[in-house]
Amino acid sequence: MEKKRFQRFRTQLLVFLAVVGPGIITANVDNDAGGIYTYSMAGAAYGYSLLWTLIPITVALIVVQEMVARMGVITGKGLADLIREEYGFRITFILMVMLLVADLGNTISEFAGLASGMGVLGVTRFIAVPMGAVFVWALVVEGTYRLVERVFLVACLFYIAYPLSCFLAHPDWTETLLSTVKPTFHFQSGYLYMIIGLVGTTIAPWMQFYLQSAVVEKGVKPRDYKYSRWDVIVGCIVTDLVALFIIVACAATLYASGQRDIKDASEAALALRPLAGRAASYLFAFGLVNASVFSACILPLATAYYVCEGLGFESGINKRLREAPAFYSLFTGLIVLGALAVMLLSEEKQVPITLLSQVVNGILLPFVLIFMLRLINRKDLMGEYRNNRTFNIIAWTTCVVILVLTLVYGVSTFFPTELPFK
Amino acid sequence: MIYFTELQDLPIYDVKGEFVGVLKDLAVDPSQNALRVASYLVRTPRKNMLCITHEQMQSISVRAGQTTVPEDSIRCYAPDESLLHIKKDVLDQQIIDVNHRKVVRVNDVDFDIRPTDGHTELSILDVNVGMGAAIRRLLQGIVAKHVIRQIAGLVAPRTIPWGFVNLIESDPGRRVKLRISFDRLAELHPADIAEILEELSRDEQKAVIESLDDETAAQALSEIPTKMQADLLESMPSEKAADVLEEMPPDEAADVLQELPPETSAGLLADMETEEAKEVRDLLGFEKHTAGALMTTDFIVVGETATVEGAIVGLKYFEGPLESVHVIYLINSDLVLTGAVSLARILLAEANTPLLQLVIDPLIFIDSNADDKAVVNQFHKYNLVALPVVDEKHRLLGVVTADDVLELVVQKK
Repeated sequence: MEKKRFQRFRTQLLVFLAVVGPGIITANVDNDAGGIYTYSMAGAAYGYSLLWTLIPITVALIVVQEMVARMGVITGKGLADLIREEYGFRITFILMVMLLVADLGNTISEFAGLASGMGVLGVTRFIAVPMGAVFVWALVVEGTYRLVERVFLVACLFYIAYPLSCFLAHPDWTETLLSTVKPTFHFQSGYLYMIIGLVGTTIAPWMQFYLQSAVVEKGVKPRDYKYSRWDVIVGCIVTDLVALFIIVACAATLYASGQRDIKDASEAALALRPLAGRAASYLFAFGLVNASVFSACILPLATAYYVCEGLGFESGINKRLREAPAFYSLFTGLIVLGALAVMLLSEEKQVPITLLSQVVNGILLPFVLIFMLRLINRKDLMGEYRNNRTFNIIAWTTCVVILVLTLVYGVSTFFPTELPFK
Repeated sequence: MIYFTELQDLPIYDVKGEFVGVLKDLAVDPSQNALRVASYLVRTPRKNMLCITHEQMQSISVRAGQTTVPEDSIRCYAPDESLLHIKKDVLDQQIIDVNHRKVVRVNDVDFDIRPTDGHTELSILDVNVGMGAAIRRLLQGIVAKHVIRQIAGLVAPRTIPWGFVNLIESDPGRRVKLRISFDRLAELHPADIAEILEELSRDEQKAVIESLDDETAAQALSEIPTKMQADLLESMPSEKAADVLEEMPPDEAADVLQELPPETSAGLLADMETEEAKEVRDLLGFEKHTAGALMTTDFIVVGETATVEGAIVGLKYFEGPLESVHVIYLINSDLVLTGAVSLARILLAEANTPLLQLVIDPLIFIDSNADDKAVVNQFHKYNLVALPVVDEKHRLLGVVTADDVLELVVQKK
């Protein structure tokens, strides 16, 4: 009896390990250079007082990601495929062009994160960025799918740098715990913008496309969907735990000592040095470099994948250059442009591009979410796996809240003078 | 020629010149004519859907369409599963281009316009998958049609004649109604079919496999990754899955069954013919990654006293796959492997030559418990096309063929 139970547990574990990956990887890419900056800023400017937002954000992230993973498992098709089949060529094309613009902006900010993180570790960006770009390109083009996935999973482990760095900062754990569970609210424009920024950086349009394609690529069967769901839930929780540690590290040091205005994530790393020691500072910078390289890998790859998928070009890293020219051009183009922008443009000149990409992301998200919700309720596509009434209420509410917040955020980026941290 | 994009939202007038509505979709009735547009679906300003039959269509052009009857004699549209709808079923969907052995997405559908005694008929020419069609889709309704024609004309068209288009419909009932046949696809090399399968989603793969005959399905299945094979077999009705398994080489069948949950594979084995099931069951007894698990039981064996003539008889009655005929094995009365003769030497020898005179020397074989690596090494060292596998008493159990070893090596990379 005992043995049988152990065997069943072992089979379940094996199935889980075979299914796991997409959710955890997607969620971790979410903590990219832009994300780390936003979290650092939140901690530096408002101390512990924003921690409570992480719980509702995690719930919203799980609700959205779970639906995408479910669609991937049941239909066996990517989100771009489904949108194309349902809404036609023109809408798909516009969506894909916008995603391309948004993702180019994101890729630039990943390379910028790599440059500034390596700067703290003492490497100039003129060495760090080209090396990073070549590494990313070669890993994806020359590596096998299994190798790539393993490298990605190891990169996920390196996020441990943030909890470590946070411990070195000796935060007030009682207050951390209290602030996480007890919502506080300040009717102050800066505080509100910060919340919106946290939501915007956590729930991005491209993630939905990436996650669904990754689940399809894994070939998860409907029978094993429950494991995929755990993959998503665990991934989302881990992501926001990392976010929590970043906020706490900055709250315990920068906020406490009055350095409440930082310009990028590496500045947070530098500021940690006198306050929490050299190790904490290096760990923080290393975390930033790891996150940036990781996301610089996945973003261009994912973009190339779903743009080709939606527009009907051949795609896939198992194809040769001649078979899938559009796929490789997009992937290589994004990396090259991203890396060049960081090396050649001064920081002031990068700002309008990042701004544009944030606005485009904000415009895209409502469409993606609405398409998603409509597709997942289609009986012919999802059968018994479509949303039930309760879940639909939760999902629509979540999406409406996200939409309103992102719209406000999008508008606010046009009036940067309103922001207190500029 | 006229494109579907140009027909979409085309204003339709009745015989009196009154505006009826705009064209939304075209339907073909495969039970009557596989190419001709049988009905035109028109949406009236009041959002009613009307169905104009092909006899009722007086004329149609890029500017407008006109019917031969007044509006009140046009019937209402009732959804009909047995009709093929161009917009709903073809446009933007994935299809198989049988000629180029690829899965592509449809950007546009091209029609031939022909006046036929008193009315105009449209018939499908080809589907358009190129950039030109993409440009048309993008500009449709924004830029004048003749301008679009000029712009799209700058790009070389990429079209697939309708005869080479294989639609993928995952509902088997509807597949029959629409008369979708996979005959042309079945003529492709199984490896090409396998490559197409890998591009499709699970339901679509199922649709394709179920429409192929058992033998072609089995050959194509053998070429896709084992995990995908298992998923597909599991989703198929048990009898069909068992039929396909019977046609697969026993070693491949054993590999898939090992991938499936124990209850499912036991069920499938029970549904298979006894003889085939036994062979597979024997193979399942071997540990993974050993010569025993890798070998096939499809091979030619004759008694050691046989002559060339006997070997040729053995060849004649052999039903297994081609890769297993290169070498013929000799056994004694205790079933012990005593020799191996290559087909080439048999062809060149006289009919009454004893096979023992022609054997490959030295005889190379491997124990069924030897691991994959040892098998690969033997193939590499002795430049083999086939390697016999024996048990501890040197009785012949099966043969590992070069194709399986190649797959093993490629997979490792």
